[in-house]
Amino acid sequence: MPLSASSSAAYLQNTSPTPNGAPSTRPTSLTIHPSALFSILDHYLRRTDAQHRVIGTLLGSRTDSSVDVKAAFAVLHSETDEQVAVDMDYHRAMYDLCTRVRPNETIVGWYSTGSDLNTYSALIQNFYSQETAPHQAVHVALDTGTEGGKGAGVKAYISSPVGVFPKPENCVFVPIPCELRFHEAERSGLDLLLSPNASLAQTDLDVLASALTDVQNMLNRVLAYVQSVLRGEIVGDKAVGRYLMDVLGTGVEEDGGWTAGLQDTLMVTYLANLVRSQAEVSARLALTSSA
Amino acid sequence: MAAPSMAAALAASLPAPQAAPTPAAPTYEAIPASMSKAIDIEAEIPLTCVQLDGMVITKILKHSREASSTTAHGLLLGLDLDGILEVSNSFALPNHTNDDDEKATKSIGRYQASMLRSLKEVQGDDNVVGFYQATSLGAFFNQTLIDTQAIHQDRLRHGGVVIVHDISQTARGNASFRAFKLTPSFMDAYRRANFSTAGLVSHRLTFSSILEEIPLRVRTNALLNSYLNMLVTPSTSSFSGARPGEATTSALSPSYSVLDIGNTGLTKNLEQVAEAIDNYRTEEGNVAYLSRQIAREKLRAETYVAKRKEENARRVAQGLNPLPEEDVSRLFRIPPEPSRLESMLLLGQVDAYAKSLESNAGTGLVKMYGAKASSGV
Repeated sequence: MPLSASSSAAYLQNTSPTPNGAPSTRPTSLTIHPSALFSILDHYLRRTDAQHRVIGTLLGSRTDSSVDVKAAFAVLHSETDEQVAVDMDYHRAMYDLCTRVRPNETIVGWYSTGSDLNTYSALIQNFYSQETAPHQAVHVALDTGTEGGKGAGVKAYISSPVGVFPKPENCVFVPIPCELRFHEAERSGLDLLLSPNASLAQTDLDVLASALTDVQNMLNRVLAYVQSVLRGEIVGDKAVGRYLMDVLGTGVEEDGGWTAGLQDTLMVTYLANLVRSQAEVSARLALTSSA
Repeated sequence: MAAPSMAAALAASLPAPQAAPTPAAPTYEAIPASMSKAIDIEAEIPLTCVQLDGMVITKILKHSREASSTTAHGLLLGLDLDGILEVSNSFALPNHTNDDDEKATKSIGRYQASMLRSLKEVQGDDNVVGFYQATSLGAFFNQTLIDTQAIHQDRLRHGGVVIVHDISQTARGNASFRAFKLTPSFMDAYRRANFSTAGLVSHRLTFSSILEEIPLRVRTNALLNSYLNMLVTPSTSSFSGARPGEATTSALSPSYSVLDIGNTGLTKNLEQVAEAIDNYRTEEGNVAYLSRQIAREKLRAETYVAKRKEENARRVAQGLNPLPEEDVSRLFRIPPEPSRLESMLLLGQVDAYAKSLESNAGTGLVKMYGAKASSGV
């Protein structure tokens, strides 16, 4: 699930290992958790008028070839035409606080809003690479889409030195692909955010009902399409037809286990109702016993 | 409760349960003390609704899922405005299982104070409005939750809310966040620490009247909305011969996991119900034992008093001085009435487990009929 318009830039491959046999430590892909993404957006919203872009630290974990960003926090920084300053004490203090809650998250890089990369970015990247040594720091540039002409998106980079004599303020940022990743259990929370007026007091049955209506609408559309193809109105697309046959052709095997499952479920429902009424009666009885 | 100055009210709203010093209390000292009673009308407007920001939801989801064994809890930050409590940020609190109580509460107080300070420096909200707790299978009645909420409700301006997030229900496809406050009758009984039978009767307390629920809604600001829309819009692939399944992709394609058939959670839920009932029975047994002891002691005291009276009557009849009435409470120590709060909470747990079991089984029933309808045609 790529996060921005796909570009045609060449991406890194994990190529031959270094001469002494150690595995390469250059990350080649990045995954972001939605809470980190939304924290960055929130920080951008809260910036003071003087700041054009904001930066912060990314926390997460890394495997051999990919980096997983799980959380982000903002860092104070000031940027003028002559110099850039990052508050390192604040960054250290917040990192200490965060590790107390989640001990297995480490600093993996930094983010900034606004997608232009300039000398200051190189300097900050150098600073963060010292923090994440011996691994490389990743840089995530989040474009909020509020400036005209640029679409919203997230791009991730790692740096490599460039130039005859490598200096801290020169480096080239190499883009790496990045994706949104979250656990399946969090999916329904995200769905809640996506639907505009969902109320939080839906019961399970309401959710089930809306999902079933959606499936029913989809089936109606497919049925209308197939019927019009059969009547000869539209030339059917063979790929679509084969795909539909694959998906809908598998049937459910009939078995006697269905009635047994039904009886079990009914019994469990009855039991649960019984327990609830018993608890209610018992609570009222406790009120009536005399001291 | 109008505090004498805004600074003091805000400083008192840091709900550190012990006397940890509050560093860097914000200094908004523009309102003179005489005017603050007139200005603090916000405290008079009761809370009607709680509004959660989208970021808070994702953060609570992530923290609840990652905290493995002990339940996850943390603080909510935000602002109460015009009857609506807006929660704009949250952070997690570390667990304190192994330390002894004094050190643990102090360290948590320090963590909280430094977190609030750091957030203030990046222009975040630093006003605590409540706390959140993750639970599983719906049972969240326990003593620590009630204690913390009672403390918050005393200290914070509108009484804090506790937001309960149910992990298992979210995993089943229905994101569940509920906001609660303690009812006034319960707060009254809690303050007097009077949970004997007579106390319960006078306050008419059952487990269902401990907490009252406040409606909750979700708000995503405009930037977040546009970002989410970007994630969801499908982008067509550039290949013309792509298979239909992969022709359009988007970062967040819709998922229908709620339609999965299967009763994975039912056995665990049943076990929890049985365990909760066992706990309740044990607790009730203890309460009954103590009540019997109390009754025995009372009986002994009464017989002693009766014998004394009889003896006095006899002596008066004989013309001797009556013996003094001794203070029976010094002779017979009658133990105090046991607190029935614990058994009430356990009963609430039983009810909550049974409720989630019922909804689980109910939807399973509907799905099974649906599957049969689709196959048996």
